[in-house]
Amino acid sequence: MNIKAVVGAGHGARDRSAHEMRTGLMFAAPWLIGFTVFFVYPVLASFYYSLCTYDAIRPPQFIGLENYRQLFFEDELFWKSLGNTMYMVIFGLPIGLLASLAIALLLNQKIKGIAFYRTAFYVPSITPVVATSILWLWLLNPEMGLINVALSKIGISGPAWLTDPAWAKPALILMSLWGAGGGMVIYLAALQDIPESLYEAASLDGATSTTQFWNITLPMLTPVILFNLIIGLIGAFQYFTQAYVMTAGGPQDSTTSYALHLFNRAFLDFKMGYASAMAWILFVITLIAALLIFKSSARWVYYSGEDR
Amino acid sequence: MQADRTLSRRALLARILPATTAGMVTSALAGCTNGGGQEIIYWTGWSGSELNAQEKLVSDFNNGNPRVRARILTQFGPSGYQKVRIAFAGGATPDVMSTVWAEELASYALRGVLTPLDAYLARSGRDLEREFTPGVARMLQVDGKVYGLAVTTNTTFIAYNKAIFREVGLDPERPPRTIEEFDLAAKLCTKTAANGGYERYGIRPTVLALWAYVFGGQWYDPETRTITANHPNNIRALEWMRTYSKNYDLRRMQAFETTFGSNETPSGPFFVGKVAMWQTGEWAQESIRRYAPDLDWGWFALPSPPEGRENVTGAGGSVFVIPAACKNKDAAWAFLNWITLPDPVEKFCTAVHNVPPLIEVGKRPYFQNDPLYRFCVPIAQGQNSFGPPPIPTWPTFNREIGRVEEKVMLGGADPKTTLDALQRAMEKELRQTMREVGS
Repeated sequence: MNIKAVVGAGHGARDRSAHEMRTGLMFAAPWLIGFTVFFVYPVLASFYYSLCTYDAIRPPQFIGLENYRQLFFEDELFWKSLGNTMYMVIFGLPIGLLASLAIALLLNQKIKGIAFYRTAFYVPSITPVVATSILWLWLLNPEMGLINVALSKIGISGPAWLTDPAWAKPALILMSLWGAGGGMVIYLAALQDIPESLYEAASLDGATSTTQFWNITLPMLTPVILFNLIIGLIGAFQYFTQAYVMTAGGPQDSTTSYALHLFNRAFLDFKMGYASAMAWILFVITLIAALLIFKSSARWVYYSGEDR
Repeated sequence: MQADRTLSRRALLARILPATTAGMVTSALAGCTNGGGQEIIYWTGWSGSELNAQEKLVSDFNNGNPRVRARILTQFGPSGYQKVRIAFAGGATPDVMSTVWAEELASYALRGVLTPLDAYLARSGRDLEREFTPGVARMLQVDGKVYGLAVTTNTTFIAYNKAIFREVGLDPERPPRTIEEFDLAAKLCTKTAANGGYERYGIRPTVLALWAYVFGGQWYDPETRTITANHPNNIRALEWMRTYSKNYDLRRMQAFETTFGSNETPSGPFFVGKVAMWQTGEWAQESIRRYAPDLDWGWFALPSPPEGRENVTGAGGSVFVIPAACKNKDAAWAFLNWITLPDPVEKFCTAVHNVPPLIEVGKRPYFQNDPLYRFCVPIAQGQNSFGPPPIPTWPTFNREIGRVEEKVMLGGADPKTTLDALQRAMEKELRQTMREVGS
């Protein structure tokens, strides 16, 4: 009886947990099915397609590593577009991070009407990219754009920006600063979280505001800098919309980003296998870059509570 | 008890599912023969006033043909044309579509997703070669079979500003005919500004793909089935275009040009007299009427060198096809046949301001009474109207020609070297694609 009861109870518990498991899965099923069908399967399929020639009409034909071989050894635009994207990562990303940090520090002051300024700096980052792109096409117009007109007022003859291969990428970086408000908000939130007591203690010890910045503000911000860096890194590697809308990759391929080249290969040439191979290469590059940053973060990111 | 409920639920489902499916199938079948006529779905990529003109034609067709009902669906913009490829991939194509570019026709035809129209044309007593202009008829055939029909074609020409010609001492009633006269006119019309930029310029020739034909070249030889990207005359055409990058500062020209926006806005550089000549087509007349009604302008055919071709024009645009997966080809053909007959073609071309691809329609009063059309129609109907070559790689090829042009004109690359490289790349591309499509 006793034993039976225990066994029965055990059995019932197992039953119940199995039942709960089933119910749980049922509730999670819409997401699980969606995740499998719209994420896991396409990701795996794209890896298989990267080993195929596939025009989206006829069934894919397996060709091994041929796509990768062509990419590395025959496609000059592959290297050029990778270089263009790396340019955005190496120059565009740090400049963007610095700009949003600088704006956040300025907007962390206790002055009248600060809410207005914060809004004003944030608004551009929520306007649609396509709209800001068209706006910047006008601002960057070499002859009558506001930027060159302003430069000419101080005696500088401005460059041809988007029509000059040497200036097109800097022009796009300049434009991307327009979106610095997104990073700014995150920095601002982190700045507000830094305990006032730290600053009080520091000033009692006679620390100047510069010393306070380097020894309190910056270390306390590092987790958020890491976050913005990783998010920005992934975004920079996928740089696409502005180049697609504003320059279509020109002049002379100077703004053909990796993602734009991939898009053209996939949807203009319908080389889906080739484009899949490109996507996997980009994935690996992004993964390595993110891992390197994570690994290095142990040395420069400070989480409160840690010793320093 | 629980088991019973599950069973009954399952049993219920087992009964309901086939019933609903059957119901759906029956209603789908019923849909096809609704109102005594068969319904066909027609996809178009036209939008705006052009879409309105198509819709009008479709309703004309439906009123006159009780046995087939066409339903028009618009697939607008670049993504609309991409959707076509996906529809082919999934076998979810409509019965008729005009969302295929002429340059994609061979690519689809060789992959076996289009219906050859020869038998249908013959059955309806139609003759492609006799009815359509030579350039359009060539463009619609791949490997000797007809895969599409066109309802518009174009004539490329140079529009010029007569007032500027007069001002610089050129005879406004005798526009350039040769390349030399053209170059001279371009030079005379150009005025440099104090800062080294431009105040006005003559022209900046573009589209090597077309000028190659003017110089007697070609991109593909249908006889030998070979790529001819580095044809000596293609090189000559590009060398001529390069003289413009040597004689002018093309980058400043471009910068100058962007100031005025495109010639589809009232501030377009040609409309406001900042560019004396404009390489364009018959649709320009409508833009000028709308944006610069007082402009004193004329037109001339693309000027040619002595050994080149006269009256060259490009052909292309949207093409009507019947996908191979279409279930109801007779009904689809009834619609396609009707919409490519002279009367509907005339209605459409006059509504959208294009040259008609049917020889007979070009002879009708509307096109003979208008001076510009009277000039455009013979060029479009001539032998030197060139559509996309019938190779599946042309969309890529064409884009690469554009890149070569940019490399030479703006990047200072050598015409022969770049075209040689293009030749090798495109030969390989074509070989690879032909192997993939199994031809």
